[in-house]
Amino acid sequence: MTPAPRGATVQAAAPATVTPVSAAGPSTENAIALTPTLRATGRRVRFWVLAGAGALLVAIVATLLAGGTSAGKPPLAADSAAQPGGRALVEVLQHEGVSVTVADTLAEARTAAGRAENPTVFFFDEGGLLTADRLTAMAGLAPRTVVAGPDFLLLQTLAPEVGFGGVADKKAAPAGCSVPAAVKAGTLPPGERTLTFPAGSAGLTGCFTSATGAFSVVERVASGRTLTLVADDSLFSNDRIALAGNAALALNLLGAGDEVVWYLPTIADVERTGPPSLGELTPGWVTPTLVILVFVTLAAMIWRGRRFGPLVAENLPVTVRASETMEGRARLYARSGARLRALDALRVGAVQRLAGQVGLSRLANLDDVIQAVARVTDRPSGEVRSVLVDRVPATDAELVALSDRLQELERATSRAITPPPPGRMDS
Amino acid sequence: MTLTGRFVALVALGVVPIVLLGRTPGTAAAVLGLWLLTVLALGILDLSLAGSPRAIGLARNLPARVRLGESVTSDLYLSNTGTRDLRLVLRDAWQPSAGAGNNRTPLTVPRGERRLASLTLTPIRRGERRVEQVTVRSSGPLGLWARQATLLAPGRIRVLPPFNARKHLPSRITRLKELDGRTSLLVRGQGTEFDSLREYVRGDDVRSIDWRATARRGDTMVRTWRPERDRRVVIVVDSGRTSAARVDDEPRLDTAFEASLLLAALASKAGDRVDFIAYDRRTRGRVQGAQGAELLSRMVDTMAMIEPELIETDWSSVPGQVRQVTTQRALVVLITSIDAAGASSALLSMLPQLTRHHTVVVASVTDPTTLQATRERGNREEIYRAAAAERALLDVARVSAAIRQQGADVVTGAPADLPPDLADRYIALKSAGRL
Repeated sequence: MTPAPRGATVQAAAPATVTPVSAAGPSTENAIALTPTLRATGRRVRFWVLAGAGALLVAIVATLLAGGTSAGKPPLAADSAAQPGGRALVEVLQHEGVSVTVADTLAEARTAAGRAENPTVFFFDEGGLLTADRLTAMAGLAPRTVVAGPDFLLLQTLAPEVGFGGVADKKAAPAGCSVPAAVKAGTLPPGERTLTFPAGSAGLTGCFTSATGAFSVVERVASGRTLTLVADDSLFSNDRIALAGNAALALNLLGAGDEVVWYLPTIADVERTGPPSLGELTPGWVTPTLVILVFVTLAAMIWRGRRFGPLVAENLPVTVRASETMEGRARLYARSGARLRALDALRVGAVQRLAGQVGLSRLANLDDVIQAVARVTDRPSGEVRSVLVDRVPATDAELVALSDRLQELERATSRAITPPPPGRMDS
Repeated sequence: MTLTGRFVALVALGVVPIVLLGRTPGTAAAVLGLWLLTVLALGILDLSLAGSPRAIGLARNLPARVRLGESVTSDLYLSNTGTRDLRLVLRDAWQPSAGAGNNRTPLTVPRGERRLASLTLTPIRRGERRVEQVTVRSSGPLGLWARQATLLAPGRIRVLPPFNARKHLPSRITRLKELDGRTSLLVRGQGTEFDSLREYVRGDDVRSIDWRATARRGDTMVRTWRPERDRRVVIVVDSGRTSAARVDDEPRLDTAFEASLLLAALASKAGDRVDFIAYDRRTRGRVQGAQGAELLSRMVDTMAMIEPELIETDWSSVPGQVRQVTTQRALVVLITSIDAAGASSALLSMLPQLTRHHTVVVASVTDPTTLQATRERGNREEIYRAAAAERALLDVARVSAAIRQQGADVVTGAPADLPPDLADRYIALKSAGRL
């Protein structure tokens, strides 16, 4: 039996050897399984699964109910019931027998307008997405075009004489023009944006004049097509449609024909420029490959991460080194700079060893030890005394020097005591 | 349930058809979906064909004891009681100190048969090492998915102290025999128990001539002596706070066990009766009235389960413990640690009660690094360290002197030296007839 060294490290044990056992012994009982079965686990977590599913369901239903239809839709969208939406107006129009077709792109608007016999185009471009060419094309789609909240580019393109007129004064303005819809509307709510144009411009009619001479609605008739510019787009929105004559104006402007093309440009109307994007250049299989790599990663995580049974607990003893008190005391000496105390400990140890070397007892008088050591080493007793007793170290350097001298004294004493090694007589 | 590396590779293999067939994003996505569905179906099929890891009967065959540092074989029998063949990977969940390592044993058990899985254990710590459960992973015929279950299969093995000091035993026994006067060297025993008379040979001590027998026989006769026999030796091991400290990466308690085992082996060979107590505030282990081989086996068995307790030893009740063992005069060996005077005051105040009736030896492990530290004085930190070491040595010297003043004997040594030193002190006491 060879004793192994203490504290041998754990060696990665080789897998156990497997031996077939010839006879299938008497029918053994199955070992008790500690892992719960799938059914037991299901029973345990059933409440939480059901609760989670219920909470999810409630959240989805609540989201759908709480205006999920209008959330995130642009202002004046035909199916938006939110405050800036346009659904109120669209519903009334449809109720009155005017069919409303929603168009998201110019192409759709063109198709819709081409299908109808006498369409009216309602146009609102909040983001300024259309270029001048497309704006011109849009204006030529139908005999009647109603533009809500025209921007600078639109005015430049379709009605260059018209400019912005600032905000209307606080008084409700009367129609004051011959446009039938405006006459029916009577007044508009005060404080809206306005347009203006030089007096005497051909084909332009301004309605709802404010004190500054600006108009809330401008109608331009040219080559059989009517373009109505309504300065303030909020006039058509759900929350303001019912104010003053807004509803009458909107319904009369849009309800002139049987068909309204509700055209709000989207990002699809923006012409693409520049080189093809990275997405267009990548082959079709790249994204599915990335997806399958995600699945591979998931599978690998389960493969490597599934623990092979529960961890095993074991109480381990504390590890306390016996020399820790000594180390702690040394650090205390060093931190507080206890030079004399440290040196005293070294001196007491040295004196006891020296006493043993020169043949005195451990309890011998210090003076006797000094005398004996001085005699043995052939040094003046004053020097020995200064090393062993008197010198007080003022700095750490002196402490180091004194410690060296102590060691040197011990070595000298031991050299003087030890008989010289036997050598040849004639040397 | 879990899955294997083979399944992961199979999923990853789907990249090939996706790249080869997926010209447009649409077809590539279709290939991806199809591949994932196929792989999932294969996995589920594999899982449904895997044998149940719960239909397993387990039986263990374990040796009861092992000496620390040696290896034993742990046998685990698996019977397949299910209806399918089992392709298993097995993990026997031994405590880490049992030295079973990170074992994963592949194993195939046909339906209705039994297989043996043998595992080599090399414990690294004394005490009782346990195993509670066996985890089994049963994979299907394709090796894609696997079922996993943890089964109850308790077992335990007792790890005994190594008794490395037994290498010192033969030389000490030889010296005992020399004391006994039984060797061919005819060295006369120096004990005090009268053994026999024999003829004088040159070199014998003239003081041992028996004049009365010489007169009767007409030839010079000497008395021979042999050391006393049938003395009591009581070993008290301190299992308190200080015994937890490690010297040379070995707890003081383990060194104390080594020393007591060597002493007990020696003393029982010398014909003395040995009793063993491990004590801190209550008795942690006790071996009483055992002889010969049974003594050592009972001692290692008792020692295996003793761990250092992090409480202060109650020295005042130790004399009572000794009195319970024997009321005769005995050699009482206290194996503890001699530190600062403050920590040893309880020991010192108790000692007179013991020394009044018994011969007392106090044995203590010293730290060889302390002695070494006094000599290393290269820089400022080392000098402070040397000073602290000197202070520690002075403390030990003072406490040792105080113990000697109380009439007890002191043995100190490094962990490797203490057991033989204590044995030598026992032989010295025996030869001086002080038992």
